[in-house]
Amino acid sequence: MWQFRQARDVKLYDKFILLMLSAAGLFSIINLMEWWFQKKHIVNFPLFVILSTFFWYGIFRIILIWINYLGIRKPPTVPKPKDGLSVAIFTTSAPGEPVSMYEKTLAALRNVTYPHTTYLLDSTEDVAFKEVAEKYGAVYLDLANLPGAKAGKVNKALSMTTEEFILILDPDHIAFPNFLDQTLGFFEDEEVGFVQVSQGYYNQYRSFTAAGAAEQTYSFYGPTQMGLYGFGAAVAIGANCTFRRKAFDSIGGHAVALAEDLVTSMRIHAAGWKSVYNPVIVNRGLVPEDFGSFAKQQLKWARGVFEVLFVDYPHLFKKFTFWQKFSYGAISFYYFTGLMTFFFIMIPPLYFMTGIIPANMNFAEFLIKGTPIAVIALAIYLYAQKFLVHPQTEAGFHWRGMILKYSLWPIYFLAFILSLLNHKIPYIPTAKKAVIGSLTPFARPLIWYNIFFILSVILVFINRKYYVPESELLFTSSRTWGMIGFSILAFIQSTGGILAAMEAMRMKEEIPWEHIDVNNISTKIIKK
Amino acid sequence: MQLKPTYRILFITGAFALGLLIVYILSIAGAKSKGPIQNALNQAENNILNIENSLIIEKRENKRKKALVAYDSIRSNIDILKNPKKILLGASDNSKSESFEEIINLEDSLNTTFPILSIYTAWGSKANEQFPELAARTIINLGSTPFITWEPWLEDFDEAEFPGIPVPEKRGKGSLKAIANGTYDKYITKWGQGVKALDKPIFLRFGHEMNDPYRYPWGPQNNKPKDYVAAWKHIRSIFDSLNIKNVLWVWAPHPAYGYFDAFYPGDEYVDYVGIGILNFGDAATWSKWWTFDELFGVNYEEFSSFKKPIMITEFGSLVVGGDRGHWFADALRQTPKKYPQLKSIVFFHQPADKTITSKVVSWYFINDPATLDSIKEQIAMWPDSLKIK
Repeated sequence: MWQFRQARDVKLYDKFILLMLSAAGLFSIINLMEWWFQKKHIVNFPLFVILSTFFWYGIFRIILIWINYLGIRKPPTVPKPKDGLSVAIFTTSAPGEPVSMYEKTLAALRNVTYPHTTYLLDSTEDVAFKEVAEKYGAVYLDLANLPGAKAGKVNKALSMTTEEFILILDPDHIAFPNFLDQTLGFFEDEEVGFVQVSQGYYNQYRSFTAAGAAEQTYSFYGPTQMGLYGFGAAVAIGANCTFRRKAFDSIGGHAVALAEDLVTSMRIHAAGWKSVYNPVIVNRGLVPEDFGSFAKQQLKWARGVFEVLFVDYPHLFKKFTFWQKFSYGAISFYYFTGLMTFFFIMIPPLYFMTGIIPANMNFAEFLIKGTPIAVIALAIYLYAQKFLVHPQTEAGFHWRGMILKYSLWPIYFLAFILSLLNHKIPYIPTAKKAVIGSLTPFARPLIWYNIFFILSVILVFINRKYYVPESELLFTSSRTWGMIGFSILAFIQSTGGILAAMEAMRMKEEIPWEHIDVNNISTKIIKK
Repeated sequence: MQLKPTYRILFITGAFALGLLIVYILSIAGAKSKGPIQNALNQAENNILNIENSLIIEKRENKRKKALVAYDSIRSNIDILKNPKKILLGASDNSKSESFEEIINLEDSLNTTFPILSIYTAWGSKANEQFPELAARTIINLGSTPFITWEPWLEDFDEAEFPGIPVPEKRGKGSLKAIANGTYDKYITKWGQGVKALDKPIFLRFGHEMNDPYRYPWGPQNNKPKDYVAAWKHIRSIFDSLNIKNVLWVWAPHPAYGYFDAFYPGDEYVDYVGIGILNFGDAATWSKWWTFDELFGVNYEEFSSFKKPIMITEFGSLVVGGDRGHWFADALRQTPKKYPQLKSIVFFHQPADKTITSKVVSWYFINDPATLDSIKEQIAMWPDSLKIK
């Protein structure tokens, strides 16, 4: 785990295979489209429109992924940084964060080989943080009571320092000694505004939630960002991005927003800077271990991304290159999955209450038209996994990630509603340690859904057993149980989410960073 | 990784060509698996039906089937049905889809249970134009015999499924010849397999009122009588080759348009002669209040000359222009003695019929106590030997 990793080089034949598969996928989608939009499929026109919108939104997202992978690119070489660059590393501490974590973070930063100054941007006003900073040779900056949370502190610190390059590192991330050697060299190109690297984790083995949350990011920090980079739109997302001070200056400092990294990234691109994505693991951090913390993080992030969609994206749209419009558009529309899942979950109850079905389609025909798309999508997904930063541990079907994604639909749905109403949510720092011992309120919608589902099945059965006349029963038999079967998918997802949330009730208290030996991180290049 | 333009074009075309090839292979696999997938889904559907049937319907106390216990041995034996000793009553009502509750309400009002339930279905590629399996199974579950009117409208056939068929508007001309020539064999075969899967006989009325040149596309305005006969025989030959033995073939010309012999497929192809008896009263300019004798009696001799049991496939009277209760009473009183070959009467109980008149008319009499009473009264007076008890 504590070993430098990098994604595999992109070969010409990789591009050929991905293009071939994408073309095949596109043809299959046209095939399905031709079949889908037939008059005989329409039962209820408005519902058919809504169903089609959500279904094709899902298909459209798949196409976006394929296009994204066509751009896949890795910097051919990592330029060796010139000597004598002035570099600052910012990491932050806020009330509630455990000081013991900083023992590791700051020790690891001291080991980063390229000469630099580490700053601890503190708002705890706790002397222990000052002591730990000094112990590891970091400069302590007391930045309490500033507006704008993390971004506010970063901006203040920018005004207090002069270094030309700034790495902003999340405090739970353990940097590898060669971190800066993997990023600074790219700034030789005067147009490069920031350099983003991959993000590894070291606690994904702790729980289902942690594994699922990590799985959701593997593809993003592998083929997805490499594709964005290929299209000139590698984004600064998450943390651990190295910025050029001039890039910050050109946009008036780090953006203050819920999705602050994303907005910063967009503004820097809009100001004309280029970006680099280097698919290497030169740091490992924490992923939320309990469902509640993960849900909280996702709510904040999804709300932030909707804000981007409604405010920043249209505002900056004209200043983007074509592919930046495309990439940021794709990111901005991501969290409609909550709305989409809500709609699909509502189809069976709607049928049971009103007898309305949104479309009249032959399921066998749908399977025959749809399966090629699923097969090709799976092939592309698996092929793209060649470019994961560490395929040995990261490759797979990522089913935990999928269960988490769909069981978080109430969160994404809520985020959408909040942004429609323009309601803010307070900045919530992600918990560094698992919140243990109780069931998170974020699991409640899932529990309600499951209760609702079980009650529905019982009611449907009682109704059919005692009340539906024998002259009508058989007509609705397969449709009724087909609908129940369809809801079982949602029930399984929901149950997965509940089980993940319940795991936190009996998780062992453990400090994940306790056993890290920062002096035992290998930066050797592994030959494959 | 910059390629020269020529290589770039080659690269992209090559990838697209191979992509197309993949889709082609997948679509062949898809076409091959369509049958098995559909069969597997049908099987699953059938299993669900059977489970609900045994778990729910069979466990109920007040099953309709109980009232028809005496009919059970009749409906299971096609030879008895071909030559019934009893008069089999029935009804149709299309007002509510996926339900026979309206007919059951009528039964309750008449204090009877119909051995025959009548439904209508069109030919075509759509889901509701396939063999009406659920309706047929439900009717059988209810203890009755399905009577299916099978109407060869051809507009809805999918050109992808039947390559080479004319555009929908042109399918009327020569439609019966096309059927006889085997154009729609695939459809007929699949439909037949649905019939065969039932464990009880059905009445089947194909292309009714084929001698009426105004009403349906399968009429003589588009087809020759011999084509009708050829189409009938062709369908029968397909059913015979599938070894389907549970069909009672109802041949039903329109009584007003004659030429019966020209349209008659032959004794060995027909089990019942059907006739529609609908009194429109004053509802249309062309109609007047006709008595049952004027409608049925005048044709009885000719229809009975086929030496087959006769079924009144659509039996009804509107209320305008006369006394409806009396009309029904008059008809049912005479039936047993005067018309001994009349073995089945199917009430045409439709609340919103617009097939002939320009306006929508209602054949409902469920809310007319006088009519209900006279029907009940007359049927009660029939000799017991003609009634299912």
